[in-house]
Amino acid sequence: MSLELIRDILVATVPLLLIFPTLFAFTTWLERKALARIQNRIGPNKVGVPLTRYGGRFSLFGLGQPMADGIKMLFKENIVPRDADRLFHLLAPILALIPAMLVLCFLPIDFPWINNIQDSVKAFMLDGAVIFFFAITGLNTLAVFMAGWASRNKYSLLGGMRAIAQMVSYEIPLVLSAVIVVMMVGSLNAAEIANAQAGWNWFVFTPWGLAAFIIFFIAALAETNRSPFDLPEAESEIIAGYFTEYSGFKFALFFLGEYIAMFAISGLAVTLFLGGGAGPGVAALPWLSVIWFLVKIFALIAIMIWLRGTLPRLRVDQLMGFAWKFLLPLSILNIFIAGSALHLLAGGRLAGLDEKQPILRQLMEGANPLVVAGLWIGALLILYVAANGLNQLSRAKVRPREYKYAE
Amino acid sequence: MSEQIAFWILSAIAVLGALVAVRKRNLIHGVFALMIFFAALSGLFLLLLAEFIAAVQILVYIGAVGILLLFAIMLTERVAGDDGRRMTSRGWFWGLVVAAAVFVVLLLPAIQQWPTPEVTQAPDPSVEELGHKLMNPYVMTLEVLALLLTAALIGAVTAAQGIRKPKEEGSPE
Amino acid sequence: MTLHHYLILAALLFCIGLMGAFTRRNAIVVLFSVEIMLNAANLNLIAFWRYGDNPALQHGPLFTLFAIAVAAAEVAVGLALVIAVYRHFRSVDLEVMDTLKEE
Repeated sequence: MSLELIRDILVATVPLLLIFPTLFAFTTWLERKALARIQNRIGPNKVGVPLTRYGGRFSLFGLGQPMADGIKMLFKENIVPRDADRLFHLLAPILALIPAMLVLCFLPIDFPWINNIQDSVKAFMLDGAVIFFFAITGLNTLAVFMAGWASRNKYSLLGGMRAIAQMVSYEIPLVLSAVIVVMMVGSLNAAEIANAQAGWNWFVFTPWGLAAFIIFFIAALAETNRSPFDLPEAESEIIAGYFTEYSGFKFALFFLGEYIAMFAISGLAVTLFLGGGAGPGVAALPWLSVIWFLVKIFALIAIMIWLRGTLPRLRVDQLMGFAWKFLLPLSILNIFIAGSALHLLAGGRLAGLDEKQPILRQLMEGANPLVVAGLWIGALLILYVAANGLNQLSRAKVRPREYKYAE
Repeated sequence: MSEQIAFWILSAIAVLGALVAVRKRNLIHGVFALMIFFAALSGLFLLLLAEFIAAVQILVYIGAVGILLLFAIMLTERVAGDDGRRMTSRGWFWGLVVAAAVFVVLLLPAIQQWPTPEVTQAPDPSVEELGHKLMNPYVMTLEVLALLLTAALIGAVTAAQGIRKPKEEGSPE
Repeated sequence: MTLHHYLILAALLFCIGLMGAFTRRNAIVVLFSVEIMLNAANLNLIAFWRYGDNPALQHGPLFTLFAIAVAAAEVAVGLALVIAVYRHFRSVDLEVMDTLKEE
């Protein structure tokens, strides 16, 4: 365990611990303001620069609100119910935070300080990143159940059981959408996947990639318990679900864990589908890729906040039916389409390809444009028909509505 | 040197986790100890340079089998184990003796010094070779495994649902 | 660490699982113990692959992958059976489920 290895590991991980919580604070402010504007109100606008008088002086659109919230949560009383399992009650928020922060190392963001560390540390972080990401995101389910169980509260247990049923069901379309990207690139390495989309070859611009991105995004909303899938933490239904008995700093840890998980999964979506740091001007200035990566993550977070403010919540049977009867068959069909498109594009060339380069890029270089256009239209058509068909199949079998008063 | 420290720590966690899982009266504590055991085992797989298997261990065992065990515990009784019934079965003493005997029998070849082959090269931890082998010689095994998992899925759903009475016409879905 | 360390660890874990399967009355704890035994066997397989003479054959991870998948399927079916039996006997105690035994 040489000193250089320790130094390299610290250099790779500690800046993430500083950057992402700062982004988290900014995101909470953004969310409250954006939700407020969607709901036709203003949102926090009083707290500004600390230690100055509020209301008129330097209120800065309420940008000091996250800091005020943090200080408030630190000073709140730590209440644990009398019959609750004290050890698990303490461990659950910690266990919710650790996987979320751990997967942040697997994102291929080219920070300038990473260039000087040893190759073995870089290789460990990125090699097989995709499967480690899904493995560690699965630990979140455990933390949610622990929180629900340890609170000795029927509402918490109900929220916890619903949450783990939801998270386990939506993991499958999540992983199957990522499988398509791995198939196209031929590697589990996050850096290779990001580099295979250099320029404007993002996977979201291919038909199977677009379908996979939409499925991935919907499943990611469900994995992080965001609206419209936030039945486990619904405020009007089961008080706060598995969060109910938590106050003060533990609640802040849960909150932090949820938002960092949102960042992590948006980061994975950006890596897999949106090019991961590719954008105009990257060839000239390499540090611009970091800015582009963060901009794309924020675009996805903005879409998540927008969906939270706009869509109503799904009921638990609608939620499970959506995962198992719609997203799962669609993602399997997507894999099938992507595989057959790969073979049709290749013709007979599949055996002679260089396995170290991304497979799709090699195939697209020598392809007939008519074949490519045909594949695009065919794939989009099949996916559209399948989505509609599955939708019709899963409709509730009720009579059409009869309006008694409105005509 | 660091590998040795990691091995001893991980094996201590694994043995403790397994012991707590089989000796605890409270089943939920037992399941969490079992998950710590799975995590320690995943760490040991990482030490043995099997990265993919370590990730699959966490994904399958902690993420799926553990959750399944939790659901099953919730659906049955004696979850917290705080009634006064005896925890151990009737023949526990002879079971313990047999387990100790099996341990001794397993230990005999493990401690002997038989000639181990020269480790020519450390295995390549990447997934690529594994993928090639899965497709070329072992594709039938993969297909049979898929069939087995489908059969297990259908069987588990049928066994847990019980026999349903036929529904009347016109009732909502 | 040599192969022997891993083999002794795997033997110890296997026997802890075996002890759990023989000693406890609760059917679900017996399932825990079966999982511990399967994991100990997987550890054995990977250790032999790592310290064997041709690791490029990938026989360790392959066998372990299939063993993990089969173990997951088995625990699913086992738990479904436990739930079905609980519905009938109202108990998961193994000493209550002895109706096949002669008096």
